Amino acid sequence: MSNAYATTDQLVSAESNIYDRGLDTAIALSVVGFMLGFVTLVNLVPPGASGSTLTTAFGTLLAVVVGAVGITSLASYANVVPVTSQRVRGVGLGLVVSTLALTAFATALPVTMATLLGIMLLAEALAITAAGVSSRLELVDAEPNMSAGLLSGGALGVIGLVMGAAVGGALTGFGSRLWLGGAAVAGVGLFLLTILPREDLGSTLPTAIVVGALGLTIVTGTIGVGWQWNPQTLSGGFTGGAVIPVFLLSGMLLSAWSAAKCRAGFGARGREYGAFLVINLNAFLMVAVMATIVVFVTVKGAGYAVHGLTVGALTALVLLTPALLVAVKFARTPAGTNDWNSGARQLFRVLPLAAVGALAAMFASVLVTGSPLRYVYDYTVQVNRQGKTLDTAVAVTPDTTIGTLLLTALAMVLAVAFFRSFGSLRKVGVQSERARLIRRAVPTVVLVFVMLSTLFLVLGPAPFGLPLGGTLGFAAVVGGAVAASGLVVYPLAGVLTSDEPTLADSAQREAPLFTLGVFGGLGLLLATLLLQPVAGINPQVGPVNLVPVIALGAAVASLALVALTTVAKRSSEETITRRVLAEERRLGLVGAAGFTALLGLHVAVTSTSFTVLGVSVANKGSISWPMVMEAYIPLGAEPGGIMPAIIGTVWLVIGATLFAVPLGVGAAVFLTEYAEQGRFTAVVETATNALWSTPSIVFGLFGAAFLIPRLGGDESLLTGMLVLGFMLLPLVLITSRESIKAVPDEYRDASAALGVTQWETIKSVVLPAAMPGVITGVILGVGRIAGETAPLILVLGSTLNAKAGVNVIDGFQFVSEPPFIVNDALMTASASLPTQVWAVIAAGVSGSPQMGWATAFILLMVVLTFYAVGIMARTYFRRKLNYE
Amino acid sequence: MSNSINTEASTDTQTNSGQTIETDSLSTETTAGESDERIREAWRQYDFDGNAKLSVEDLNVWYGDDHALKDVSMEIPKKSVTALIGPSGCGKSTYLRCLNRMNDRIKAARIDGSVELEGTEIYDPNANLVELRKRIGMVFQSPNPFPKSIRENISYGPRKHGDINKGLLARLFGRDDTAKEGELVEHSLKQAALWDEVSDRLDDNALGLSGGQQQRLCIARCLAVDPEVILMDEPASALDPIATSKIEDLVEELSKEYTVVIVTHNMQQAARISDQTAVFLTGGELVEYDDTDKIFESPESQRVEDYITGKFG
Repeated sequence: MSNAYATTDQLVSAESNIYDRGLDTAIALSVVGFMLGFVTLVNLVPPGASGSTLTTAFGTLLAVVVGAVGITSLASYANVVPVTSQRVRGVGLGLVVSTLALTAFATALPVTMATLLGIMLLAEALAITAAGVSSRLELVDAEPNMSAGLLSGGALGVIGLVMGAAVGGALTGFGSRLWLGGAAVAGVGLFLLTILPREDLGSTLPTAIVVGALGLTIVTGTIGVGWQWNPQTLSGGFTGGAVIPVFLLSGMLLSAWSAAKCRAGFGARGREYGAFLVINLNAFLMVAVMATIVVFVTVKGAGYAVHGLTVGALTALVLLTPALLVAVKFARTPAGTNDWNSGARQLFRVLPLAAVGALAAMFASVLVTGSPLRYVYDYTVQVNRQGKTLDTAVAVTPDTTIGTLLLTALAMVLAVAFFRSFGSLRKVGVQSERARLIRRAVPTVVLVFVMLSTLFLVLGPAPFGLPLGGTLGFAAVVGGAVAASGLVVYPLAGVLTSDEPTLADSAQREAPLFTLGVFGGLGLLLATLLLQPVAGINPQVGPVNLVPVIALGAAVASLALVALTTVAKRSSEETITRRVLAEERRLGLVGAAGFTALLGLHVAVTSTSFTVLGVSVANKGSISWPMVMEAYIPLGAEPGGIMPAIIGTVWLVIGATLFAVPLGVGAAVFLTEYAEQGRFTAVVETATNALWSTPSIVFGLFGAAFLIPRLGGDESLLTGMLVLGFMLLPLVLITSRESIKAVPDEYRDASAALGVTQWETIKSVVLPAAMPGVITGVILGVGRIAGETAPLILVLGSTLNAKAGVNVIDGFQFVSEPPFIVNDALMTASASLPTQVWAVIAAGVSGSPQMGWATAFILLMVVLTFYAVGIMARTYFRRKLNYE
Repeated sequence: MSNSINTEASTDTQTNSGQTIETDSLSTETTAGESDERIREAWRQYDFDGNAKLSVEDLNVWYGDDHALKDVSMEIPKKSVTALIGPSGCGKSTYLRCLNRMNDRIKAARIDGSVELEGTEIYDPNANLVELRKRIGMVFQSPNPFPKSIRENISYGPRKHGDINKGLLARLFGRDDTAKEGELVEHSLKQAALWDEVSDRLDDNALGLSGGQQQRLCIARCLAVDPEVILMDEPASALDPIATSKIEDLVEELSKEYTVVIVTHNMQQAARISDQTAVFLTGGELVEYDDTDKIFESPESQRVEDYITGKFG
């Protein structure tokens, strides 16, 4: 022992020999086998596959493995990600070798997938035995312990029991009880074989026996593809298709553990490596389960979900903008100091940018050439219980109807630019006397407009039956629009008529008016736009629609501002002047973006399209995706989509969150900040935990029996929201409590020492600091309730063929008697994604399984979107709290 | 809020009950421990010119059964630096926290006695805590800025007290105090000698500052609510020597305008910056209170001398 410890060269030099390489390959083979186990388990490649199916599958696998290993080794060779570990290198090589061998095997011999998997298991068994025996014969350097240990012995003993029982039962029949003997013999035998010999034999031979036995049953066809076993005591049965992958997964896990132990020379290091590998495979299992579900659902549902997807190239470009922004940000992150590294890292950082750029170029080419990109495919679906081939396509068309999408993007740019460069209106017009007057007037006027809008919203366009409202509204809209245009043109006129010697000087002198003109104009026009639809006014003056014309004119005026300041900036030489003018130019751009966005808003709220310079701005964008944008068409040839269900689910989640988050966070604040720790808080805690563990169907029954009779007497969206809210409540409460507790007491002390009351402290210090934790709770909870089916079936119904989505916003109505505000949309039943999946797939209500899968796919996407939104919100708050 | 303060504490009954305890402690409790020395009332008498800003009489604090502060009486003069020194656990921080009622926040604490701020009893049951803590600010041992921007840290107090209005409504009604806020932030940071270091990054998160800067930010935050008294609980204990000397200079500067009471473990620091020093020793007793020079050159009490020269425990 001491000798082995003293040989320093063993610790530093890790020259690989045949023993090591062989075992690396064995480990790699286990990894490949584990993956193949999954592949066969999800039926990506069935166990019975042979011939071309098999060779194609292995070809793909080879490509994947060679690609992954190749890129990694290339990166290592280029010193980007240096891989120094001999073991990792060996396993990488082993992966390629074993995949290559398997592919050759599958191509050369007429075998099925199952046979191949069996052969893999046998090979593993042989490799392990050879390693163990050569270690026992002292052919290699190893530091084995006296025994493999009781833990390994116990585990293998249990495996032996199960296998013995199965074999004994299969040979003698389960009726005779002889199988008990077989189980006992095998269990005790394996246990003793593990603990009695030295560690190198003890942790290889029993494993090899188990793995070899598993392999033999598959290779000999004892358990083949067509194999089936239906025990009388069970209603179900086992099939070869399910048993073989399970054999493979467990066998490969065992052999990987054993081979890893051999590779590291047994002893403490061996156990370390073995445990590392097994734990790693466990973590991989986690990822694999998630990936399996997503891949499975996607494979089943994505094809149908994208039928008829058409997108205008320009719209696609707009949709691509966020990705482009992310890619640019990623690429711009500094790549470190080391020259060699930074160069290569930069390459990796620009890759996503390159990909997005390539896509954008593709869309742009469609736009320029005018010829659409189409990918046509067939899909068989059940329409009214009859198989029907659906000719469908995914297409990118050169459509120049930008629609509100583009305008939304502009509005986003406006908001970002505004907050980045100005923060607030604080400095607007401090110097100029005229500007001060206007500055005071603008907020008041906007406020009056908003109040007028509210009034119209409550009383309607013709209050008390008189056309007074319409007239007044018309006057206000026209007046507001004219004032807005006046405000925008005012600074331009000021600059042009100014008697300053140079353009730069006059532009600088009128700077406060610039800001005022842009933001004042934007505010006024926005207020006018709010008023317009509620008063039902369309201020058409002759053939000209006033508001969009003014928005467009203001955008042009803003651009003129930009042009003016650019000219002035070019001609001036002073740095300070140039900087001021640059600021004004940016302001002009913000204005242009803002007014264009308002034009889009006008189109969106009044549903009138607007064409300028051949580009039409319409209410509907040029994106057509029947599955998510249309309702189900019961008797149509085209099956349409599930838009009402998507809208229903989104509203359910919003409603439940609005209900549960304030309540949960409020209760958490009370319990942590105000209540004394005592019996009451303990009771609340127990109640919360109990609420969290309550089965969802119980919530549903409660909703159906208690809420529905009290809320309109029929299944309704509101009841669904409330029931889901009840389910969300405990999780929000628990996580909020934990994160509020985690806020350091120093903050509370500091705030109290400044004389700030407890409630103000909670509001402005404690809650913001606890925000990321609260959001984590909401994310987890929303993921859970968005897919909740059982309670919804009871309280929401399972409306399948809804013609349109619920319109909650328009549903609000003010009435002159209590409760003063009603919403019919909330009181009607709605479709929702989970209930739709349930009805189509499980209950077999009309529609085709394909549609069910596509619905499930979209449900998954909706939940993942909520998840992404939550994560972004959390990141935002974390950034705000930390000093990044 | 906890209701553990003795709410019946009118000044008269205070004195009575206080005296009883005083006799008790003098006869029985004082001698427990290292020394047989008896604390003499004269050691704790400190005569100074002018009015007292804070007068403390017979202050006792219990944490549960633990008698943390015993019959402390002292008068703190205006616009000066008073240092509180003593070994760990001697009650000086507890004493400091009594001066702006921060001990109210500890549920187990029971406080008995009288503290007057310019003649007004702060332990009056009807006392306005918000007003009190605005007048008596506090700086803590470890820097504790809020996870907000430097600007927001400074303007936090005034905003919460309604002295600065910002936001949508204020802007709509034309009462936006952004300019006032800017002046206040600049003034407070200049007072705390931090302006030059942070003036170009007022909107950065305060947690990105160094420890010494954070502590000066906390002082600036405290100054922003315009207090009369500033209590400092070992403000430099977590800082390096350079940052410490900056804080010390700052304290000397502040004492021209404010009454500063500072707890410190650092004897040299107390000698350098304070006008008068109070020595607390184990058991929560005030042993000696006098001019700083007097305390450090010729203390009356043997125990105080031992402590100052380093012979104590």
